[in-house]
Amino acid sequence: MGTSKSITRELRSWFRLPKSRREFLDRLTFVFLAVIAVIITLPFFAIVFEVVANGWILLNPAFILTNMVGFAEGGIRNAIVGSIELVAIASMVAIPLCVGAAIYTTEYAQRGRRRARRWVQELNKWVIRIVEFTADVLAGVPSIIFGAFGLIFFVAVFGRSLIAGALTLALMMIPTILRTTQESLRAVPLSLREASLALGATTWSTSWRVVLRAALAGIITGILLAIGRVIGETAPLLFTTGFNFDAPWGFLDAIASLPFTIYLYALQGHTEIIRLRAYSTAIVLIGIVFVVDVIAVWASKKVGLVVRAGGV
Amino acid sequence: MSQRNWRKILFGASTRDLVGRTLLLVFAIITSFVIVLIFSQVWARAFPAIIILGPELLGPVWDPTVTEQYGILVFIAGTLWVTGLSLLIAIPIGIAGSLFLAEYCPHRLKEPLRLILILMAGIPSIVYGLWALYTLVPFLRDLISPLYIPVWDSLTNSFVWISMEWYSGYGVLPAAIVLAIMLLPTIVAVSYDSMVMVPDTLREASYALGASRTETSIKVVLMTALPGVGAAVLLSLGRAVGETMAVLLVTGNNTTFPRWIFDQSYVLTSVIANQLGLAVGGYPLMESALFVVALVLLLLSMFFSITAKMVVSWGMRKQGLR
Repeated sequence: MGTSKSITRELRSWFRLPKSRREFLDRLTFVFLAVIAVIITLPFFAIVFEVVANGWILLNPAFILTNMVGFAEGGIRNAIVGSIELVAIASMVAIPLCVGAAIYTTEYAQRGRRRARRWVQELNKWVIRIVEFTADVLAGVPSIIFGAFGLIFFVAVFGRSLIAGALTLALMMIPTILRTTQESLRAVPLSLREASLALGATTWSTSWRVVLRAALAGIITGILLAIGRVIGETAPLLFTTGFNFDAPWGFLDAIASLPFTIYLYALQGHTEIIRLRAYSTAIVLIGIVFVVDVIAVWASKKVGLVVRAGGV
Repeated sequence: MSQRNWRKILFGASTRDLVGRTLLLVFAIITSFVIVLIFSQVWARAFPAIIILGPELLGPVWDPTVTEQYGILVFIAGTLWVTGLSLLIAIPIGIAGSLFLAEYCPHRLKEPLRLILILMAGIPSIVYGLWALYTLVPFLRDLISPLYIPVWDSLTNSFVWISMEWYSGYGVLPAAIVLAIMLLPTIVAVSYDSMVMVPDTLREASYALGASRTETSIKVVLMTALPGVGAAVLLSLGRAVGETMAVLLVTGNNTTFPRWIFDQSYVLTSVIANQLGLAVGGYPLMESALFVVALVLLLLSMFFSITAKMVVSWGMRKQGLR
């Protein structure tokens, strides 16, 4: 951290010969590691270039605003609207659940009820531990397992439908939203809570009117990160949504989505038009994900939350 | 008691507090219950196959429709090959990258690099798969096919099983490469975090003893951050085992045993993705066997994420950071 020099100083020191074997090795390591860093970022540019260079040919307003007609014709409106519907419903389920659970763990179980009985305090400590532990385990569960679970749990009730897919995605959003909400609630200074409690407010109104408002930007960051993560997920939707050439709003209708459409294109074979359509759909998907992620990173800087590549 | 008092008790602030707290506790219980629910459902579906098939599940042949053999060993072998090779590529590069980011990177480059890593982690896996399918597979085919025949023909006498006239481009190698690319952001980010947490006093002490920047970063920073790096490896192992879409499109999905990196393979996640939809229709035993595969995946991922957490907390305690 504290050892990186400025670029100009770095460059200037390059123009003299190394004085010793150790200094030579030092510079060699720097070059080696810099090359590695370039190698790491290279695939990113390669993939984005590949997708954009192939996909922009078909990309026009009609492609975005019309429904698919078969797989090779029409636009991809059904997939775009379907993805938005799925993520919107998933968020509506996941956000209250996770924010509520996070408020319980940080406001009630941790701070509130200091005068509570011993066993209540012990119980609360265990609730915090269990909620955090299960969220961390859930974060590591492979997405295809969510798909399989959605198939036997939600599809059994609703059939392959919008609501089954959205509920499956909601489960995937839980760890990200829960952990970032906890983190940003804990970052709210204690003095704000004390001031509110001293005015006679209950923990309930302190949580909702003071703490939650102070932590709002951080919570929104977490929500955006979760949305950016699940909007690109294909595996949970494989068995849960079905496919539709239109984008209806009925909860029990089958629904298309962007990642699933790309998957179907990839399965369809290698004709040129299918390949280009797959890339165009990928541009739209990557575009949405990047915009959401960049907003999340920008919002996180405002509140001093650290966003890390790869989520929780 | 007057009317007013009753209203206060039923709708007053403290009642709202109590009701709200109970509601939030229910929410907290629901979020923790999700993993229990998933585990129990998968276990319940996997149970019949475990009882009926027993050790047959560990057989090497998967042919549920014709000969009705349900051996999942071929998928475990595929996952081991793909995951092992991808980690072999990703771990050294990832650790070197995080060392660069933490110790060598000029300040001006740090933020853009981290943003690129975040965006890289954000690219959906199906897009990685699409890229691998349309670019990496043809590239590897054109690269390796011409090399292959002259180089390996002389050896086929001694190693018959590696003989191959024409390399399709699919198989363990492209899957491992695309998986390595997908894992890199996680490895770099997690080990970078643990390197940043190394106190500056250690670096200063090392410099004061006359160590160069390389010596300091490798012998002091990397060694101190080793538990975090270990956690990064474990986390990425969990991700690698569970990755579905990108791998699915390029492994070739062939149920023969993969014996080296140019062979086609079939991994645990792919077989669920490809066959579960079919099996739920009318093959109860096949469905159950597929849930055994899901159970294996679930246990593996839980094992890796729990171990990663334990390694992190152990390392932090050891260093007195928490």
